[in-house]
Amino acid sequence: MPASSRSSGLGATFENIVMIELYHISKQYQEGQWALLDINLHIKKGEFWFITGPSGSGKTTLLKIIFREILPTRGQIVIDGINILRLPDHKIWKLRRSMGIVFQDFRLLFHKKVFDNVAIGLYVLGIPVKEIRRRVFNALRLVNLHQKMWEYPSHLSYGEQQRVAIARAVVNEPQILLADEPTGNLDPELAFEIISVFKEINRQGKTVLICSHDKELIRHFGDKILFLFKGKIIGKEVQPFSRK
Amino acid sequence: MNNLWQYRVRNLFSATIIALSFLIVGVFFSLSNNLQFLASQLAENMVVAFFLNPGISAREQARIEEAVKASPGVAHVNFVSREEALARFQKSFPELEDILKNLGSNPFPASYEAVLQKKVFLSEEALGLIEGIKALPGVEDVQFNRDWVKKMQSLSRLARAIGFFLGGILILASFFIISNVIRLNVFARKNEIEILRLVGATNTFIRLPFLLEGLTLGVLGSALSLALLYILIKLFPLYLGQSLGVLQEFINLRYLSLSQCIGLVIGSALMGLLGSLSSLSRFLKI
Ligand SMILES: Nc1ncnc2c1ncn2[C@@H]1O[C@H](COP(=O)(O)OP(=O)(O)OP(=O)(O)O)[C@@H](O)[C@H]1O
Ligand SMILES: [Mg+2]
Repeated sequence: MPASSRSSGLGATFENIVMIELYHISKQYQEGQWALLDINLHIKKGEFWFITGPSGSGKTTLLKIIFREILPTRGQIVIDGINILRLPDHKIWKLRRSMGIVFQDFRLLFHKKVFDNVAIGLYVLGIPVKEIRRRVFNALRLVNLHQKMWEYPSHLSYGEQQRVAIARAVVNEPQILLADEPTGNLDPELAFEIISVFKEINRQGKTVLICSHDKELIRHFGDKILFLFKGKIIGKEVQPFSRK
Repeated sequence: MNNLWQYRVRNLFSATIIALSFLIVGVFFSLSNNLQFLASQLAENMVVAFFLNPGISAREQARIEEAVKASPGVAHVNFVSREEALARFQKSFPELEDILKNLGSNPFPASYEAVLQKKVFLSEEALGLIEGIKALPGVEDVQFNRDWVKKMQSLSRLARAIGFFLGGILILASFFIISNVIRLNVFARKNEIEILRLVGATNTFIRLPFLLEGLTLGVLGSALSLALLYILIKLFPLYLGQSLGVLQEFINLRYLSLSQCIGLVIGSALMGLLGSLSSLSRFLKI
């Protein structure tokens, strides 16, 4: 167990509350090939991180381990004080409710309208329909897609689909936001807008992790940057004062 | 639930198969009900008729009457003279008047009709009683429908047994049908289930719709079978026509009793639930 202090509740400064702790995380999909090797990382509540590195360096793998889609081959991972590797399968939903996830491949449901795609995380919480409508509309307005609420994702452009995925991830105001290449298919202007949305969410005290190749974007927004190469951390850049 | 609509063709198909399964069970139960009813109707009429020799002496007749009256289990004795027997026949079959006239003489023998107590009628005791009187001189023949009642009752039991046997097999079949439909539905919703997991749906939340689907299929199937059975029972006599006379009673199927209907629906609802549960435990790993 880490020694770092943890407290929750209003009024606490975020500075010392550790949200995500990775200890010696390694992942091997195939014998002899390490997708991740001995990753140690502490991410505090309210921090805004970029994870970058060339294709195949293990960015997606790292995110998948954090939201427990896959298990690491070695190491331990603690999120908000809970060792998620010891979390029994039937309790994973508790972890997932604290997270919003934007997948590299979007994972939208193509037989459901944009509205339902975004609302799915709210249905699960048993929120009243009226409240769901309000929140879905707000989330879609955030990504500037509210006028396409009743379309099917297959009628949207790639970039629009990506924004639906983003709206779905932020709609239940999760404590942790994980985004895998969320701007990969957007033009630079829209990419900046989307990252601004993430910044805004971050300003409300949420922890944000974004995987990205986009150097321009990282230079502009990144105050904490993790460089991965062949599954290893080859560098960390942490600005003492975040640019806002 | 909207899943049920989404895959309506597949679901309708399986509901129909379930309905047909339960329909077969229903037909046998209905048949059994019918035979049971006939048996009880015959048992109402617990009369043993002892026909007398035409040339019987008064002494013999008096002995017979005495013996019948003295028998335990006999509630009531009635003498039917030859004239009365003829009159009865004429009343029952007026269209045969001419045949009787041609005969020229009264063909009917006189008889003693003994009405038995119900519990005696169906017991072995009755047989001994009847044999004893039959052995008396002057008794020509004995007629009673005890055997019929017994036959009817055992037929009814047979129909019910077949109903249970087939029912068991078909209910098992509907269990597998439903579990298979649910499996297909789980696979069809694989992506959605994955997303639901990722946004923090509990297992109950994910499983409940499938359980309800199984339940609905079971209830729908059995309700459909009851409706089909009803139509079948209504149409069957019409199809055969009214010309069957006495046989009509056999053909006129009786509908299931309320408790049988409820049992059928609850049984198939249970099968639906169990079917989807078994499917979920195998194909929706938690
Ligand atoms: N399911 C898998 N089975 C086997 N190997 C895998 C699997 N997923 C990823 N890998 C391998 O693990 C390594 C890291 O993959 P990962 O997807 O994490 O990279 P990435 O940094 O996200 O790349 P990109 O920028 O292209 O998305 C790669 O070599 C990849 O081939
Ligand atoms: Mg990736």
